[in-house]
Amino acid sequence: MTDSAAPAAPKPSSSVKLVLLGEAAVGKSSLVLRFVNNEFQPNKEPTIGAAFLTQKCQLPNRTIKFEIWDTAGQERFASLAPMYYRNAQAALVVYDVTKASSITKAKHWVAELQRQASPGIVIAFVGNKVDLCDDDAPEGEAAEGGEAEGEEDATVRKVSFKEAKAYAEEENLLFFETSAKTGHNVSEVFTAIANAIPETSLKTSRGAATGAGTQAAISAGQDGSKVNLNARGGDKPQEGCAC
Amino acid sequence: MFLSNLVQKAQQLIDPATLPGPLANLTTPSSRPSKAQLFRHQFRLPDTQNPLYEITAELTLPESKSPRRFHTSQGQTKSWDKSNWDRGPGIHYVGQLHLSEQFLCFSTVHSSFVSTASTSASSAYTGRTNGTGPAGNGFTLPLCAVRRVERLHTPSHEFALSITTWNGYEPRSDSKPDASPAPPKLIVQLEGSRQQCDRFCDGLKKGLRQGIREVEGMRTVTADCYSEYFLATDFDRPAADSTIEKEKEPPDTGLGSIFRYPGNSRKLRDRSKMRLWHEYLRENGRNCTLVRQPDFHRLVRVGLPNLLRGEMWELTSGGFYLRLQKPKQYQETLAKFEGEGSLAIDEIEKDLNRSLPEYAGFQSEEGIGRLRRVLTAYSWTNPEVGYCQAMNIVVAALLIYVSEKQAFYLLSTLCDRLLPGYYSQTMYGTLLDQRVFESLVEKTMPIIWDHLQKNDVQLSVVSLPWFLSLYINSMPLIFAFRVLDVFFLEGPKVLFQVGLAILRVNGEELLDATDDGTFISVLKSYFARLGESAHPKSENPKHRAITNFQALMVVAFKEFDGITQHTISEQRSKHKAAVMENIESFAKRTSIRNLGPESKKLSQNDLGFLYDRFYAVLYERSQRAQILQVEAERKAKASRAARGPDEIVAAAPEMGRVALGGAANGTAMEYDAFREFLAGVAKWAVTDSPSSPVRGGDEAEKQRGNGGYFGSVRSRSLPSTINPWGSGPEPADHDFMQRLFAKWDSDHMGALTLQNVVYGFAAVKGNRDIMSSISYFFSLYSDSDGDGGKVDREGILRISEALLFLSRRGVPGGPPPSPVVNGEGEAKVQSKDEQFLGAVSAFIRRCFEYADPDHAANQAASGVSLLDVSDDNDGDDDASSKPASEDSILARPSTNTFGQTSASRHVSANAALDPGSPVHITLPTFRMLVLADETLEAFFDSGFANSFNLVDAPVPSSTITSSSPFLGGNAFSGGGFSGSSGVSAAQPAISPGGAGAGVVGPGKGLRGMLDNIVTDGMRVAAEVRRRMDEAQKELDRGGGGGVGGEEDEGEEHAGDLLEGAEAMESRSAKSVEGVIEPVAGSASASVLEEARDGKGSTMFER
Ligand SMILES: Nc1nc2c(ncn2[C@@H]2O[C@H](COP(=O)(O)OP(=O)(O)O)[C@@H](O)[C@H]2O)c(=O)[nH]1
Ligand SMILES: [Mg+2]
Repeated sequence: MTDSAAPAAPKPSSSVKLVLLGEAAVGKSSLVLRFVNNEFQPNKEPTIGAAFLTQKCQLPNRTIKFEIWDTAGQERFASLAPMYYRNAQAALVVYDVTKASSITKAKHWVAELQRQASPGIVIAFVGNKVDLCDDDAPEGEAAEGGEAEGEEDATVRKVSFKEAKAYAEEENLLFFETSAKTGHNVSEVFTAIANAIPETSLKTSRGAATGAGTQAAISAGQDGSKVNLNARGGDKPQEGCAC
Repeated sequence: MFLSNLVQKAQQLIDPATLPGPLANLTTPSSRPSKAQLFRHQFRLPDTQNPLYEITAELTLPESKSPRRFHTSQGQTKSWDKSNWDRGPGIHYVGQLHLSEQFLCFSTVHSSFVSTASTSASSAYTGRTNGTGPAGNGFTLPLCAVRRVERLHTPSHEFALSITTWNGYEPRSDSKPDASPAPPKLIVQLEGSRQQCDRFCDGLKKGLRQGIREVEGMRTVTADCYSEYFLATDFDRPAADSTIEKEKEPPDTGLGSIFRYPGNSRKLRDRSKMRLWHEYLRENGRNCTLVRQPDFHRLVRVGLPNLLRGEMWELTSGGFYLRLQKPKQYQETLAKFEGEGSLAIDEIEKDLNRSLPEYAGFQSEEGIGRLRRVLTAYSWTNPEVGYCQAMNIVVAALLIYVSEKQAFYLLSTLCDRLLPGYYSQTMYGTLLDQRVFESLVEKTMPIIWDHLQKNDVQLSVVSLPWFLSLYINSMPLIFAFRVLDVFFLEGPKVLFQVGLAILRVNGEELLDATDDGTFISVLKSYFARLGESAHPKSENPKHRAITNFQALMVVAFKEFDGITQHTISEQRSKHKAAVMENIESFAKRTSIRNLGPESKKLSQNDLGFLYDRFYAVLYERSQRAQILQVEAERKAKASRAARGPDEIVAAAPEMGRVALGGAANGTAMEYDAFREFLAGVAKWAVTDSPSSPVRGGDEAEKQRGNGGYFGSVRSRSLPSTINPWGSGPEPADHDFMQRLFAKWDSDHMGALTLQNVVYGFAAVKGNRDIMSSISYFFSLYSDSDGDGGKVDREGILRISEALLFLSRRGVPGGPPPSPVVNGEGEAKVQSKDEQFLGAVSAFIRRCFEYADPDHAANQAASGVSLLDVSDDNDGDDDASSKPASEDSILARPSTNTFGQTSASRHVSANAALDPGSPVHITLPTFRMLVLADETLEAFFDSGFANSFNLVDAPVPSSTITSSSPFLGGNAFSGGGFSGSSGVSAAQPAISPGGAGAGVVGPGKGLRGMLDNIVTDGMRVAAEVRRRMDEAQKELDRGGGGGVGGEEDEGEEHAGDLLEGAEAMESRSAKSVEGVIEPVAGSASASVLEEARDGKGSTMFER
C-alpha cells in the first residue's frame, strides 16, 4: 500500500492526504508553495479545481509524505470541495488575520469538515499573513507573552490571536499563525499535523480506516518545535501538477 | 429531494393537456430535449430557430474538379443545365431537408424534428453526433445567403430545386475571372407528395423574402471570415504577390497572427492543409454557404490550419450563427457597461495575468486587453454565470485563433450550449459530467475502475480539469487545439472519448499507481510525451511516425466510437438527481451556516425549511415568468416563438440552487415573491378573494393609496392558462405585509435575501418574550427605530387593521374561550375570534384615549384630562344605550368582554381623534394597551409568532396555557350566532367604503359566519378611517387654522365618532412607563377582570 517504504529506508513512510480550504486569497497556495518549494511568489498557474503537490516531512520515527490538495480560490469552486476533502486525513483551514470575514469562512469550513469529512480528520486552523501585523507574529510557544491585546488595535490585524486560539481550542483544532511570505510557522503547521496523525491510521491504507480516536487537540506550541523538518531540499519529492 | 420537489412543482404548474403546441414540451424533463432543441443542436442554430418544415430530399453536388486527396469520385462531372436536368452526374446525398425561420438545413443524418413527427422518429437517432453537431453531409444555410432558388424542369413526379448562394456571385477581381470559379448551385430534389413539396416551397419562399433584409448584415459578418480573404486569391499566387489584392487587409485571425501560432507550422503541415482547404472551400462554399462533405470531416480531424481554425470553430460550434444573428451584441455590451464594475470583473482581473502566461500574446497588453474584454462582455450578457475560473484559460486559447468578437460568440456558445452548467455558480454541469465520466470508465474499463476504487483514488479530481478547461491546461497547446477542433464539430462527447482514451492508453501504468500522486504523475508525464512517437521501437518507419497524440485520437474515435451524444445524455439524466442533491445539500449546509448569529434563534429544521421555501418560491416564480413570457411571445408572433420552451427546462436546474454564491443574481425576493412566500407559511397571508392582482408599478401605488386592504381589486390581467401564483394559495396584499417586507429589507434593497428572511423570522419567532414581541410589532409602525419612536393616528389605525387582518382566520395559541355572561344572564362560550375582534375594537378606543398629543404644549393639558378620566372609570352602562350605531358595533355588546363598560364621553378621547390635533402613542403606551387585554397579550405572547408555520412545533405560550383548538366547541351555536346576526344587521349602517373584502356570504355556514365577523371588524376599522378622512377633509376645507391642533370643528366630528367611547383606565401613560411587567396573574381571565374593575391599577405596579 501507500505506506510500504523502500526496504532500505530505516523509517516507515506513509502518505497523508491533506486538503487546504479557506476563502480566496487568504494565502493557501502561498502556504503550500512555501512548504513545498520554500519560496514565495505570485502563483502563475491558475488553479482549476485543485492543485496537487506533494512534500515529505521527516519525523524522528517515521516519514510522512503529504499529498496536498490546494483547492481553487473562487467561491463557486466551493461546491467541488467535498471531492477533495473526501478521505483526507488532514486539513489546513486558512484565514487571513488581516481580513475579518475570512475567519468566518474558515469556521464554516471547520464545521463542514467536522460534519462531512472523515471522522478522524486532523484540522489545523491557520491565520496567515501575520507579517502584515506590526505587533509581529507571536511565537507559538510564547503565545501568552507576546500577545497583549492592546497592541493589536493600531495594526491592520483584524482577527485577534486570542479569539482565534480560543475558538481553535474549543473545537479541538491545531492552531497557528503563519506567514507564507516570511515562512514563519509554516513548517511547524505541517509538522504538527504530521505528529497529530495517529499511527494507527497510518498503518492502514490511506483513508480506509480513518484513524479512530484521533485526538487532534495537540496544542500548537507544545510539540511543534520539537520536530525538525529536514525533508525540504532533500530528495526533491515535490511535484506540482498542472492538470 | 429538493430538486425532485421542484421538478414536481414545475410540472404541476402546467397541465400539458391545456397547453397548445410547443408549450407542451415544457413537461419534458431536461434529460429529454425537445425536438426543437435537438434540431438547433444538430445544426448549431440559435435559440430563435424552430423546425418548421422538413422533407426527405436528395442533394446533388457537382463532382469535384480537383483531384481528391481522400475521396474517390463517384461519378463524372457534367454541365449544369436547368432546362435539361439530368440526375445522373455529381455526388448524391439522401437526407432530410429542414426549414426554420431563417435557415435551410440539410443533413444525411436522418432525423425528424417537426413537432408532428412521432417521438420514436426523433429519439431513434443513429449516426455520429445524435443531434448535437453538424453531423453527416449537408449544409446549414442562412436564408439570407441564398441568392436564387429555381424550380428545375423535371418529370412531373419529380420536384427539384436549384439553389444559388451569394458566394457564387461574389464579384471577382475583374482581372482574374478564372481565379475562383463560382461554387456550384445546390440541387435538391424533394421527395414527398406534391402537397408536401408545395408546402415546403411556400415556407421557403416566405423565409427567403424575409431573408433579403438580412443580406447586408450577413456581408459584414462574413467579412470577418478569413475564407473571404483567402478565396479572393489563387492559392499558389498568394495575396502578397498580387498587387490588386494587396490593398485588402486580412481579417483578424487572432493573436497568433501577431505573436505566432503555437507549434511548428512546418511540422504541423500547415501549408498543405491550407491548400486542401482552399480547394474544399472553393468547391463547397465558404463560411455561411459551406457544404459539408466527407472531406470536411476528415480535414477537421487532421487538425485545422492556423488561419482557418478560428472560422471553422465558429462555423462548427454555431458561434457564427449567433454572431450572424446579433452582430453588434459584443460591441454594444461593452459600450453599455463601459466603466462599470462587478464582482465578476474583479475576479477576471485577478486571473488575467495567469491565463496561458507562457504564450507571448498574454504577456502583452494587447492580449490581456482582448481577454479582459471578452470575459467582461460575457459576464454582462450572462450575469448568472458571470465569470468562472477556467473560462480565462479557454478564452485565452480561443483568442490565439479568433478575433475578440468571434471569441465572445464562441464563449457564449460554449457556456450556454456546449458545456451547460459547467461554469455556473454551482458548477453542476461540471460535477454531473464528472459523474458521467466515472460511470463510463466503470462501464468500459472495469479493471481500471476497480483498481481506482480499491486504492481510493478519486478519478474526478484528475479528470475535472480536463473537462473544465477542455484539455487546454492539461495537454500541450497544439494537441489541446486538435481536441478542440473535433469538439466544436462533434460536440461534448468528444471530451469523454478523449478522456476514456487517455485512461485506456495509460491503463497498465495506472494499474500500478496506488495513490493520487502516482496517478497524477503518470498522466502528467504522458501528456508531456504526446508529441513523441507512439511506437519508437517499431521497424516500420510509418509506425514510428505515429505520435502518441495520433494514437490517442485513434483510440478515442475508433475504440470509443460507441460513446455518442445519446450515451452522454442518457448518463446525464441518470445521474442528475443524485448530483443535484449533493450540490443542493452542500449549498444548503453552507448557506444556512453562513446566515449569521441571529439565525441561531431558529432551529436547524426551521432554517432548512426557510431555505427550501425561499428558493422554491424564487424558482417557481422564475419558471412561471419564463413560461408566461414564452407564451406571450408565442402569441405575439404566432409561428416565430422567439425562445424554445425546452430551453427553460434545460436552464432550470440551476435556478433555486444558486445560494452558494451568496451575492448571486436572482437570489433575492421582491415583494410579490415575499407575499407568495408568506402565503405558504401563514394562513393570514392567503387572500380572501382568489384573484388579487400581481402588484406592480402604479397598481401598487394605487393600492397603497387605498389604504391597503386585502386584495380586493379584481383584475385578471393574465388570461393565461397559468395561474400567476402557481399551485400555491394566492397571497393577500396588505399594508401589514408591506411593512413587514420593508422592515425585513434591512438593507433597503427592495428585495429580501435569504438572510433577511431568516433574520425576519428570528425577530418574529426567535424572541421568546412578550415585551420584545410587542416592541417589534410597534416598530413596524413607529416613525423611528428604537424604543423612542411614536405611532401616529394613522399608525394606530393601521395597527388595528393589521391585528384584524392577522386574526381573520383565527389566532393560534390564544387564551381559551372565556365564559361570558351576557345581558340575559345566559352563559355561553365566546369564540376566540369574537374575543379578538372585541379586543381590537377596545384597543382602538383605548389607543386614542391614551394617545399623547404631538405638541409639548398640549402635553400637560392632556395629562390632566387623562387624569380626569379616572373619575368616570367605573361606569358600566349597557352598550345598547349608546346612541351611535357604529359605536355599538365597536363595542360589540354581545361579544365583547369589556367593551360595554363605559359610555362616558371623554373629551380627551375625542380630542385624540381630531385630525387637527395630531397625536401619537409611544411604545410604553402600546405595551400597556396590549397588556391590558388578555387576548392581545396572548396574541403577542405567542399567537403572532405561531401564526407563521415553519416545521417545528409552535412555541408554547409562555404565560398562557393554550388549550382548546381554534373553532372548537359550539362557539357558534345559539346566542353566539344571534350575536353575529346582530352584527350583520348593523352592517348597512356603516358603509365600508368599498374596502370590505369580497368575503364569503353569510349563507356559507360556520366559515362564512366567521368571515363575516372578521370582515365586520375590518369594516369598523374602515369606518373609523373613513370618518377620519372626512374629518381631515373637513378640516382642510375649514382653512389653515388647524395648525395649532385645537380646531373645534374637527373635534366635533371626531366626537361624534367615538361618542360614548369608554375611558376605562385612569392612569396616564406617563406614569405607567417602565413599570409594565408581564404579570403572571394576568394569565387568568378572572384576575384580569378583577383588575379592570377599578382595581386595575395593581396590574401595572409592582
Ligand atoms: N503579506 C503576505 N501576503 C501573502 C501571504 N500569503 C499570501 N499572500 C498574498 O495573498 C495573495 C493571495 O495568495 P494566494 O496564495 O493566491 O491565496 P489563495 O487564493 O488562498 O491560494 C497573494 O497576493 C499573495 O502574495 C503572507 O503570508 N503575507
Ligand atoms: Mg490558490
